[in-house]
Amino acid sequence: MRFNEKELVCLSRQPSEMAAELGMRGPKKGDVVKRRLVKLVVNFLFYFRTDEEEPVGALLLEQCRVEREDTQIFSVAFLDDAERKYLFECDSEEQCKEWIDSIIKASYEFMRRNLIFYRTEIHRLTGKDPLEQYGISEETRFQVNSGSQLMARDTSSL
Amino acid sequence: MKLNEKILTHFLSCTSPVDKEGYLYKKERNGTYHRRWFVLKANLLFYQERPADRHLMGVIVLEGCTVQMLESDGYFPFSLEFGAGFKSYRFAAGDAQTQGRWMKALFLASHCYLSCLLRDLERQYEEAKQQQESNVPSSSFKSLCPPTNSLLVPTLGPSAAVREGRSFSATAALPPRSLPTKVTGKKSPKKWPRRNAYVTPLNGPAPLYGEWPLVGSDPLVEFSKLHAYYGKEVQNAREEWLRSRQTEENHSEKDLIDLG
Repeated sequence: MRFNEKELVCLSRQPSEMAAELGMRGPKKGDVVKRRLVKLVVNFLFYFRTDEEEPVGALLLEQCRVEREDTQIFSVAFLDDAERKYLFECDSEEQCKEWIDSIIKASYEFMRRNLIFYRTEIHRLTGKDPLEQYGISEETRFQVNSGSQLMARDTSSL
Repeated sequence: MKLNEKILTHFLSCTSPVDKEGYLYKKERNGTYHRRWFVLKANLLFYQERPADRHLMGVIVLEGCTVQMLESDGYFPFSLEFGAGFKSYRFAAGDAQTQGRWMKALFLASHCYLSCLLRDLERQYEEAKQQQESNVPSSSFKSLCPPTNSLLVPTLGPSAAVREGRSFSATAALPPRSLPTKVTGKKSPKKWPRRNAYVTPLNGPAPLYGEWPLVGSDPLVEFSKLHAYYGKEVQNAREEWLRSRQTEENHSEKDLIDLG
């Protein structure tokens, strides 16, 4: 699978409020805890070897479950395999809570649901659709019932 | 850098919303166009040879890019530009409408754009709630803050078809435009606005941490306040129903069927 690696590496270098050295353990049996610089940028979790500029890897934070495993440990599991979890060891309970909260809120789908909620509520309270002023009220992306994949396939263009 | 492919493949095939999909031509390194099936989900543009293909050819993460219309060469081309030092991704549609729709969809796709929009709506929501709580009548409600320039979508009319180098960026400030005000004359038939399923239910069990979005910044709101807030809907609906019953009773003498 190809992906725009150069751009993604560039993205990983963007400033982020959530960047810290954590103990990280991969999901496979036999994976050990390694010290990594973990950084949250948009809906990606990048992890670097502490002295390197390019990340070792990137995890897309969609369709994942974030859980507290212990006072200072949280896990991220991807829903295709809830058994395989990435584990992250923090330095404090506070830090652990902060990471869990940030990761959940970073998900695009989480943000989209909140947007739809605010849109509906603002419309209910004011009678106005707040997306109209931006010319995006008809976009499927922001519709209340976006969640179904019953969309007509546009095969006509070619 | 490793990008966990399984996570991406799973995301593509899961039931989260598909924001746009369809065929487009993609320009390859050797300059030729190849038809590919594209699926736009969140801030990711996936592509494969055909819709049913199990093999995912590739994905483009749509952060930090602008969408640019290119000069027509028989097709309807456009590109994704990531800035100096990065190569551009070139596509072509079969007609102007498809080109316009894809360009708009890609322009709105980034996480950054959604983040800005969300912050803006959060603010509007807080303002609207405050206005309601201070019982200001709706007629004197001040118009919502003027739209943030960077969120405005430039309209792509047919006249805008062939203009090279016209780019749209969600992060650059756009010149203020007066959007045509759409007057929605029809009243919503729904008495009960569609409630987002993820709003914390009043009487349900406490949401499991990590499963429910934190809506708004309110900490635990007193039940009585919540009850009054949502109870208003019930009150209004009931009043309207009573009024309509009154009108029905007034017309009860008239024959149901007019036999001329």
